[in-house]
Amino acid sequence: MSGEEEENAAELKIGDEFLKAKCLMNCEVSLILEHKYEQLQQMSEDPTNQVSQVFEKSLQYVKRFSRYKNPDAVRQVREVLSRYQLAEFELCVLGNLCPETVEEAIAMVPSLKTKGRVHDDEAIEKMLNDLSLIKRFE
Amino acid sequence: MFLKVQLPWNVIIPAENLDAKGLMLQRSIIIRLLDEFATKKATKDLGYFLAVTTLENIGEGKVRQTGDVLFPVIFSGITFKLYRGEILEGVVHKVLKHGVFLRCGPVENIYLSYLKMPDYRYVPGENPVFLNDKLSKIEKDVVVRFIVIGTKWLEAEREFQALVSLEGDYLGPVS
Repeated sequence: MSGEEEENAAELKIGDEFLKAKCLMNCEVSLILEHKYEQLQQMSEDPTNQVSQVFEKSLQYVKRFSRYKNPDAVRQVREVLSRYQLAEFELCVLGNLCPETVEEAIAMVPSLKTKGRVHDDEAIEKMLNDLSLIKRFE
Repeated sequence: MFLKVQLPWNVIIPAENLDAKGLMLQRSIIIRLLDEFATKKATKDLGYFLAVTTLENIGEGKVRQTGDVLFPVIFSGITFKLYRGEILEGVVHKVLKHGVFLRCGPVENIYLSYLKMPDYRYVPGENPVFLNDKLSKIEKDVVVRFIVIGTKWLEAEREFQALVSLEGDYLGPVS
């Protein structure tokens, strides 16, 4: 299987180039791809001919697995999570899976609890509350 | 994980598509780029190519012997890559005796072996399922949250395969 023995997203070991690359949440990808699809629709009558299978499968997936649909809510989610000193990767996992409890959040993103980081349970709790507030007012 | 990446690329424009006004050129480059991007499907390092979002830069064109012109361009795009240790949600599309296959993003070959869901047992039938003692059910079209334990790049198919597991807290079918 995977050649690089050290890769482990749970410990945030995913290769330097990707730590710097911007990760995107499903809901963000959904907005971008839907917009692209509309553009293609305007350019030709049958947009299904214009898009690759990868595009189509991904669009179906992100539509189904987006926790937030409203563009304002999507923006707010990134804004709120950005206040908590998270890596891009961590931010997106939380925004995608929307854990309900502190315990679940740590299970989904174990690197939150890595030694030397500032996330105590209270901070995580507050973060999850902020997230569920956005959902409620969407 | 979906990634926003910036990539250099060489786009070759056939001589007949060149146009002095430049406007058509930009259009040809974008169309060509989209085409190639779609055919390439995926690379080992970057994962699956979804879409080109913006063309950041078009470099100086170099005329080749054939009369075509090669333009080095830089563009931003979206890709999808699976990481070991990453937790994701996917949809079951095939149930077999020894495990199930899931779909996640553009990836079709995500395998969850029965060895990696030890509390579930296979129940054969017209619609086979995996069941556990709490009557949690894994069947076709069910959403499952899993952790990636290994990925493999298939050069010939230009595709990834992944092995996933349910061993961990808060993993399993999602209602």
